[in-house]
Amino acid sequence: MSFIVRQVAKRADGGDIIRTRTLVQAELTVGRGTDCDIQLADLAVMLRHARLVQITAGKVSVETTGGVPVEVGGKFITRADLAVAENPTIDIGPFRLSLSPGEDGAVAITAERVVPPIEAADAAHETSIFSLSGAMPTKRRMAWIGGLAVLVLLLLVPLFHFISEGEPALPKTMVAEAARPVTPGQGFGDGKLSVPTARPAAAGGFAPDESWSSGTLSDAHASLSNNCSACHQKAFVSVTDGACQACHTASALPDHASPARMAKGRLPDGGVMGAAHSAFNLPQGRCTSCHKEHEGAATVMTVAESFCTDCHGGLKSRLTDTAVANVPGWAKHPDFRATLVSSPSADKPVFTRTALAGAREKSGLIYPHDIHQSTTNAVANMAQKQRLPQGADGALPCSYCHKADEGQVRFKPIDMEANCGACHDLAFARDGGTVRTLPHGKPAQVAGIIRDFTLSESFAPRAGVQRLSFDRHLPGKAPPPLSGGNPAARAQAAVVSVFTGKGLCTECHVVTDTGAADLTRRFAIAPVSINDHYLPQGQFPHGKHKSYDGKTGQAACVACHTGVTKSKASTDVNIPGVANCRECHGAPAKTLLSTTAKAGASCDTCHGYHDGVAPAGALPAGHVQPARVAGRQAAGRSRQTPA
Amino acid sequence: MASKAQAGRAMTGKAVTRAPRDTAHEGFLNHKRGRWAKVAITLTVVALGAYLLTDPVPRHNGGTWLGYLLGSIGAGMIVWLSLLGVRKRVIGSKPFSLKGWTSAHVYLGLSLIVVGTLHTGFQLGWNVHTLAWALMMIVILSGLWGISLYATLPERLSANRGEVTQLQMLEAIRTLDRQLDTAAQPLDADDAALVRMSLEECRIAGSLGQRLSGNYTNDGNARALATITEKVMTGRRTGRVDDRLQQIEFLLERKEAALAQARRHIRMKTQLELWLYVHVPVTIALLAALLAHIISVFLYW
Repeated sequence: MSFIVRQVAKRADGGDIIRTRTLVQAELTVGRGTDCDIQLADLAVMLRHARLVQITAGKVSVETTGGVPVEVGGKFITRADLAVAENPTIDIGPFRLSLSPGEDGAVAITAERVVPPIEAADAAHETSIFSLSGAMPTKRRMAWIGGLAVLVLLLLVPLFHFISEGEPALPKTMVAEAARPVTPGQGFGDGKLSVPTARPAAAGGFAPDESWSSGTLSDAHASLSNNCSACHQKAFVSVTDGACQACHTASALPDHASPARMAKGRLPDGGVMGAAHSAFNLPQGRCTSCHKEHEGAATVMTVAESFCTDCHGGLKSRLTDTAVANVPGWAKHPDFRATLVSSPSADKPVFTRTALAGAREKSGLIYPHDIHQSTTNAVANMAQKQRLPQGADGALPCSYCHKADEGQVRFKPIDMEANCGACHDLAFARDGGTVRTLPHGKPAQVAGIIRDFTLSESFAPRAGVQRLSFDRHLPGKAPPPLSGGNPAARAQAAVVSVFTGKGLCTECHVVTDTGAADLTRRFAIAPVSINDHYLPQGQFPHGKHKSYDGKTGQAACVACHTGVTKSKASTDVNIPGVANCRECHGAPAKTLLSTTAKAGASCDTCHGYHDGVAPAGALPAGHVQPARVAGRQAAGRSRQTPA
Repeated sequence: MASKAQAGRAMTGKAVTRAPRDTAHEGFLNHKRGRWAKVAITLTVVALGAYLLTDPVPRHNGGTWLGYLLGSIGAGMIVWLSLLGVRKRVIGSKPFSLKGWTSAHVYLGLSLIVVGTLHTGFQLGWNVHTLAWALMMIVILSGLWGISLYATLPERLSANRGEVTQLQMLEAIRTLDRQLDTAAQPLDADDAALVRMSLEECRIAGSLGQRLSGNYTNDGNARALATITEKVMTGRRTGRVDDRLQQIEFLLERKEAALAQARRHIRMKTQLELWLYVHVPVTIALLAALLAHIISVFLYW
């Protein structure tokens, strides 16, 4: 009964040191303790770890003594019988005991360290210990991950979306709204046209190329936020006018002027900027030259005043035939040139643009504003008796005749029956219970009615028929009886008195006696054209100016139209000049530390841009359509083609 | 006198006497009397002036003429600044010295804060463009952080190290490990397990968090030391002092001290390196984002 123990130790240079002992005994102790037969110097091994007993020849039992199992053939056991012929191995801690049959029936045991000792502070680990490479992924790996993540998620995925996207579907409500013509002057007042709240986001959710959006879309276009290609149709081509006009049709948003004239009037794009613009195919005058998107909720319509003055500051030098004065800015805005009636006509009036200073208008009407604005005279007295509306001061209010139209920009045309008829009632006789009146605007009918009435009274006078006086100064007083010889002469005299006498036609009209033999054609009334809008390009919104400096009603009107209460003739032009506007527009507010203007003073406060070639558009129905406007015949600028 | 001065420095943690600078070592920060600082300041002032003196409508952003100009300058600078990584790998001094290049890198990089931010017109949002700006700011600020570390840490690093090299620090710990291993051989299983804890569960450097915080209380050696100390104290109270355990305690304490020095070293080296782990990968991400920014802007012009 003996064991041959071979203990293998590693030398520093890598070689092995083998010590062989022969122990003639039936039992071996294995452990860390110095008293063990096989000493295994490692703290993972118990002081007395196991005992090997040679039971019979070729058979050894292993039994743990320290309470820690050993590993035999991959199993942890506390006791086992091993056949030496099978060359069993026993693993104890980092050591392995290999058993094999030795000479003379002895059991050979090779003890060898199979798990190298832990070299916690190995020099080879210096780099990983002292540099961050031991605690973090390498910089190179992180750079690859970060760079590729950015490229894939923010370049390739959106790019793929752009390439694979089909024709964009535009939201129907937006398209319908964009195609609706813009009312001239709809944006006046705040200098901005904006949709107050964002339109709902379009269906379809997030689109990858939204990550390319440089900023929030305006409220008006919010529904396009996930539909980039609605506007950005071609790669590397700036948004084209065609993309805008797919919704904003030319009929809804007409050109400012004819493109050829616009090109001629525009400030040439020179120098570095011009070179850059032409190099990158960014010509001037595109929609996006003025309208910038992706600038936040309400900004797409915000257009710099300079965009207007760039052209209009020196327009005359480039567009030499223009009738539009140069406007370098609000402070140097030329005074208004009112569009005045220069030749009244029933159907083809002619208007002339005239400087306000000393301007006279030929409306053909005789109308002194002053006596109609008095608080004490016969007019006031009559207005009171007729129970007409009264202004705060007791006089007839402006609004009795000047009634604002629906847009509160212009006034409804003056109508004789509606505005004058209450006092100037054209009644000529009381016939029983009927008051006989003359038709306005039909002099031949008037002559005929008066002639026939007088003749019938001559030949067959009826009871209860009473002629009425036209003289307003003595109301109710019966007119003197018609004198004269035969009935025909009396009838003629009556017609002459209607057309030439005081109190009727001549009150307001210039009447010419042509001397024609036909009594109904003898008197001609001079034509009357009453101006509806003196500053058609300005589109002055009266509705937004109902109060002025704390004044309201009549006082507010007169605050600007200052001369009107003293105006003795209808030739007076009571249109305030631009200096009057500057009292508020562009003037600093009356608060300390505030430099904000009392009222806006940008070009689009008063002027539209997309109003079309005829700046004010056609006048609403019922207004006098001018035959032409003298001094504005320049090509493409006339309000209506000359008749 | 000298030793007193030495002691005074030791108190303040400055073991290395600063060499007199009249021998004119010129760092990259004051290279050529701050030539690049002046260039960067000029660029910054001009950019700011142009920004304040122009009033584009509706607002400043990358799409105005100034925006395109600042963007082009900024993009060029970003690419050039990132080329420092290439330049430093090229040995030689042509056409500019690496020091001059680094000086320009630092100062022009700082001026990029102004150039890049004015390019945005402060129009920021959740998009690729702002991502590029944010990455640029992270790169610049991490660079600023790195410079401030380089200004203060090497002195302290040197003071902590004394005359010892990194390898020697490791060797000292390894020697103590061997001594511990030997000293623990006669111990019973429980005590041996404690020593094994110190040998096998002790990580000198550990995770990034440990390296930065210097908190290793859960490390094997610290735990082993605490338990062994407790046992030795108990032994003293009961009058049965185990000499072997005392020896182990002594060795564990020495190991803890050696570890502490190495870990202070590691902590400072970590700080010196960590900013680059931000600076460099984020620079690459920035170049990618810059490419995406430029392509997307002109693709969706």
